[in-house]
Amino acid sequence: VLRLLHTADWHLGRRFPSFPEEAQKKLSRARMDVIATILDVARRNAVNAVLCAGDLFDDPSPAADFWEGLARTFRDRTGPHPPVFLVPGNHDPLTSESVWAPGHPFRAQIPAWVHVVDRDDFTFELAPDAILYARPCRSKAGENDLAMALPAREPADARVRIGCVHGCTFDIAGYQTNFPICRDAGVRRGLDYLAIGDTHSFRDVTEASPVPTVYPGAPEPMTFDEPGAGSVALVALFRHGSRPRVQAEPVAFWRWIDRRCRDVNELRALLTTQDLDRHVVRLHLDMTVSLAEESEVERILRDLQGTDATHGRAGVLLLDRANLRLQPGSCGVFPDDLPPVVTDTIARLDRLIADSNDEGEKSRATRALAHLYKLLQGQESLAGRPR
Amino acid sequence: LKLHRLRVIDFAAIREADIEFGPGLNVLYGPNDLGKSTLAEAIRLALLLPHTSSHIEEYLPWTGGHNPIVEMTFETEPQRVWRVRKEFRHGGTALLQESKNGVDFDDVERGRKVDGKLRELLRWGIPEPGGAGGSRGLPTSFLATVLLSTQSDVTSVLHNSLKGDVSGTGRERIAAALQAVAQDPLFAALLRATQARRDEAYTDKGAKKTAKGSVFKAAADRLNEVRDEKEKLQKLVEDSEGVERLLRELTAKRGQREEAVAAATERVATLERLVAEAADLARAEEQVRVAREEVLRIERIGKDVDAAKKNVKDLSRKVEEAEQTLKAAQGRQAEAAAALEGAETAVRDAGSDQGMTGTVARQRLELRKNAAEQASREAHQQIERATAAQKLVDAVSAAEREYQAQQTEAAGARAALGRATAKQDDADEELRRIDRLERVLDARTADEQAAAAQADVERDASLRARLKIETDQREALARRRAAMTVPASAALVPMRRLDTDLAAARGALNVGLVVTVTPRARLEVRVQKDGKTAAPVSTSKPMEVDAAAEVVIDIGKVATVRVRGGRREAQRTAASLEERWSRDVVPHLAAAGVADLDGLSAKTAEAQELDTSLKAKDAELESLRAQIASLAGSGQKLREASDRAKACRDALGDVEPGATAELARLSWLSSAGADAAGTRRTRRQQLLSDLDVARAAANQAGTVHTLAEERGRAAKSTLDAAVVARDAALAAFPKGIAMTLSTAQAALAAASGEQQTIAAELASLESTLAAQHARIEAALHGARATAEEARAGVELAQAERTTAIADHASQAGRLEELRKLRDAQDLAAAGSRLRDATERHAAVPVPERMVTEAEVTAARTAMTRARTDLEANEREIQRTHGALEQVGGAVARDRLRDATEAFELAERYEREIEADYEAWLLLLEQMKEADAAQASNLGQALGPAIAGRFEALTEQRYQNVRLTAQLGTEGVVASGAVRSAERISVGTREQLSTLYRLSMAEYLCTAVVLDDQLVQSDGTRMDWFRALLAEKARSFQIVVFTCRPDDYLGAGALVPKGKSVHRDTGGGFVRAVDLLRAVRRT
Repeated sequence: VLRLLHTADWHLGRRFPSFPEEAQKKLSRARMDVIATILDVARRNAVNAVLCAGDLFDDPSPAADFWEGLARTFRDRTGPHPPVFLVPGNHDPLTSESVWAPGHPFRAQIPAWVHVVDRDDFTFELAPDAILYARPCRSKAGENDLAMALPAREPADARVRIGCVHGCTFDIAGYQTNFPICRDAGVRRGLDYLAIGDTHSFRDVTEASPVPTVYPGAPEPMTFDEPGAGSVALVALFRHGSRPRVQAEPVAFWRWIDRRCRDVNELRALLTTQDLDRHVVRLHLDMTVSLAEESEVERILRDLQGTDATHGRAGVLLLDRANLRLQPGSCGVFPDDLPPVVTDTIARLDRLIADSNDEGEKSRATRALAHLYKLLQGQESLAGRPR
Repeated sequence: LKLHRLRVIDFAAIREADIEFGPGLNVLYGPNDLGKSTLAEAIRLALLLPHTSSHIEEYLPWTGGHNPIVEMTFETEPQRVWRVRKEFRHGGTALLQESKNGVDFDDVERGRKVDGKLRELLRWGIPEPGGAGGSRGLPTSFLATVLLSTQSDVTSVLHNSLKGDVSGTGRERIAAALQAVAQDPLFAALLRATQARRDEAYTDKGAKKTAKGSVFKAAADRLNEVRDEKEKLQKLVEDSEGVERLLRELTAKRGQREEAVAAATERVATLERLVAEAADLARAEEQVRVAREEVLRIERIGKDVDAAKKNVKDLSRKVEEAEQTLKAAQGRQAEAAAALEGAETAVRDAGSDQGMTGTVARQRLELRKNAAEQASREAHQQIERATAAQKLVDAVSAAEREYQAQQTEAAGARAALGRATAKQDDADEELRRIDRLERVLDARTADEQAAAAQADVERDASLRARLKIETDQREALARRRAAMTVPASAALVPMRRLDTDLAAARGALNVGLVVTVTPRARLEVRVQKDGKTAAPVSTSKPMEVDAAAEVVIDIGKVATVRVRGGRREAQRTAASLEERWSRDVVPHLAAAGVADLDGLSAKTAEAQELDTSLKAKDAELESLRAQIASLAGSGQKLREASDRAKACRDALGDVEPGATAELARLSWLSSAGADAAGTRRTRRQQLLSDLDVARAAANQAGTVHTLAEERGRAAKSTLDAAVVARDAALAAFPKGIAMTLSTAQAALAAASGEQQTIAAELASLESTLAAQHARIEAALHGARATAEEARAGVELAQAERTTAIADHASQAGRLEELRKLRDAQDLAAAGSRLRDATERHAAVPVPERMVTEAEVTAARTAMTRARTDLEANEREIQRTHGALEQVGGAVARDRLRDATEAFELAERYEREIEADYEAWLLLLEQMKEADAAQASNLGQALGPAIAGRFEALTEQRYQNVRLTAQLGTEGVVASGAVRSAERISVGTREQLSTLYRLSMAEYLCTAVVLDDQLVQSDGTRMDWFRALLAEKARSFQIVVFTCRPDDYLGAGALVPKGKSVHRDTGGGFVRAVDLLRAVRRT
């Protein structure tokens, strides 16, 4: 049995511009950390080779931190190690200036068991009866089918043949130039397994075919709409002609969830999610709350998000409060024993809400009431007494 | 705020004022129209008016000219002393300085910034100058109205409030001073927090803060950043999609172009097929034609063989004919040869006889010719010898003439040499005489110079002695002058004028006085009349004292009475003039040691004379020094002249200067006056020139003489040699040269005649022999021609025969070849080929139509063009691929997705921030409004303080004073009802206003300026106020301008007579300032 670990789409150096700076650092760091996990899985499963099918860096010339980090991760592996094959993808194509170029310092820092696919006719004999064919992307876009560009099986060739390229099997508008891969390329080229990369969710695109063509997905998800991300593919090949067994193995640290809370109860329930600190949460608040509830909502959000002094309950929180609405008016939430001038202020704001035809003005006044409410709560807590 | 000092210059009616304030109550008093209100305004302008404001026009000095200047020193807190100096109007300046000790000041702000800083220090509710809310004239505010009162509107404080303030600083300051009294603590805390949140986002004037660090700026920066990123990626994706679209279009075009290429290729193939068919048909036709020609050719060879046979036969016949012709010619040739031989024999026979006769005759003639030639040669030789002898005779004669000529020339040269030598000697002698003369003259000159040097030495000694005398005299004069101190003569004129004025002024005072002293008891009286003191008198009787201008009566311990004559103005004028006299004249009189101006004038004249004498002495001394300087080194010159005279006498040797005959002869040279040396020099040069000429002439004459003698010697030896040769030649001609020559010439003429005769005879003989020879040659020539013709006939016949034989052989050979060729051809096979070719031709398909080369070329061109288009399309596709590889396609789309999400988030965040801060702003507004409405206000805090005092002042007539939240005065409470302040009496209103001002100043711990605020108050209330002011003066500074100092000051607090401007009482907390002394009006 020939065992392979197939991974792709690491996207080292990826930026997460929607997130706060600290969260960006966490997510970026996780992308590097998962490589060690992948190599651990490879060793644990005694694979014969690790195939990395493109988009390993997010850019062909990533910042030094990333390629140095990757090289360090490889170097830190002690003892014998199965060969690792790094295939340039469309995000990190092989160019004379790229990190894959033979003259780039990255190449000098990686150990000998790490192989960069930097030739169009790349082959590697994984075993006496098994051979790997791989071909790099040389640009960010291209119409050529790199899988079909692999050599076809000779009639007398009975070896196990594995292909590894980066590209897209979706023949739809907008993808024709993303290195399209013919769905039956594995069969037509006489391969036994075609390892590809591009899509970030795990997917076997040729389940009905004797030759699996598999996307292992990104080992760490990158967006909230990648449900199958976070795994690598473990492949077991028996002999030529027999369909290999392909199995997804989770490796991700982060889980990305997209939640919409329509009332405070749902929000409270979010706090009970297991391993919330390993979740990247996009929280849409879609509710109308009273001033008192808003105050609780704010407290829960502070809980989730953390403050300068405390860690948040959620690993990363991305908050959408566009639909968090306040019930207009004070609605009797303020205590009765406030100084008259404060009561008068509240009454004035209530009048504004009641009298105005301008929704913006109403909203502003409601928000002003919320500010006042929170200020009063702050004053109370300072005074050490509830009203 | 505490005022330290005020200085005013050229401000309205005030020329100059300088006032130092005390720490407590300052009562600045003076009569009406002195400028008290002007000083109060000066304080206001120093603190509030920008120095460039046109408002200052009201305060320009009445006398015009200078810019108004106000300088004020004040303290804002301990060890923070400020000095502001403003020179108003255009060209003015402003300067604010700070000091810790009130002595050493450092510059803080200049120009326009001064007022900004002042307003920041004061915090009176006046915005920074130049802002939107600032006023153009003199800025004001509620606090400025309260603390700097004006006489013109004493009760202004009662109808003003904080509402009118543009800036909130005044209110804040009052609120801070009143602190918790004003607001509920919770509300105050809420208000502060809300204000703080509002201030995070908005400026004082309500604009959004957009500077670095503001919340809006951070959100906007973030939004801009992600927007830029998004737009960049958007552009990239658009480019990418554009490229992809182009790629699709190009791919579609590629199909069309491939079809076009296929069509063009097919058309070319069709045309090429038609062309090929046409070519095949043409080729078959050609093969038929070739086969047919082959058959014809073989048939032609048979015919050629027959023709060749006939030719061979004809040529055999021609060979035979040629041989017969040859034989006939050979016969004719034999006949001609025989005839030639006969002719030659005949020639040989005729030639032998005729030759002998001719030879004998010729030999005779030759002998005669030789004899004649010998005779001629001999005659020639004789003539030559005779001629040579004659030439020798002629040469002797010529040599004799040459010798005589050289002798004559040598004699002439000798004479010339003698003359030149004599001239040279004369010139030498003359030069020697001149040398002697010059030495004599040098000796005389040196004697004279020595005498002159001796005279200079003596004059130098004399001048030095005179210099010493003159110097002593000058020093004596200088001592006299130094002892005198007098002013410049020009200064005497104003002194005289002052003297006159003073005399006039004294005259105005000198009115005559009679003072009567009537003692009521015995008095010790000391009288001083017009400055003269009389002896003390002790009297109890009346006494009269009369004086011209002044009487001072010192009456014991009772009093000193001083009576002065004249009006006050005249006295002031006189005092002023006296002061000037004392200041300007008296020191000069004292210095000069004279009593009056006449003495001073005499002293001045004397001093002037001394000055003149000193100048003259100085000039003389200068002249003497110059003369002595010009004689410097005369001793040395004397020594040098003596040495030179001695050297000249030594050089003169034994010549006695002045006594020689030669000198007498050359006296014209020595007496040539000033130009004697020049004349001698000219003469010497002329003599030297003459000497050179004479020497050159002597040399030349010597050379000529030597040459003449040499040539004479040569001519003599030539003559001797010629005589010897002539004598030897004449010995060979005993008959004389002339006879011998004549004989030889006759023999030569005879020999010449014989030679001519022989030549004529020889020519005749040669002519006869030539005619005979011509006749024989003609006969031989005829025979030879006949023989030649015969030989030519033979050769022709032989050639014709050879040609005939060759033609025959040639035709026979050709016949043989043709026969062989004919035998080698296969006519049957050729016929068979012709048939085959004809059949093939019939089988070749005929093309549907004929295609031209142009058609094929056009089709090929079209095909090439289609292919080129296709290739261009391919290249374009490749290029587009390249572009797509650069822009990124899916990669760019991925990133754009992220960037768009980030942008939307940032946009949402910015909206949130704006809404949030707008809500804070609204909350703050509403809180303030509620605050105002609820009267949790300043009025409530300040009101009781004023009301309490007002109640005390009015002895409970009024129970309360109502102030609004903004410190506006609603009215006073009397009998339980609120009454407008306008309804109370003017005096009470003034008192209420003053209490308001004092209360405010007390809360703020700041100075308050009151400009005659209580003029309508009665004595009782003034007493009450005086006590209040004296008490409050210990807490804060009060500055009162008044014309009634007694209202504010206790007895004895006024400034005493004398020079002092102010007086401090009340333990230093009450200061009276006499403005009459502090202020100088224009």
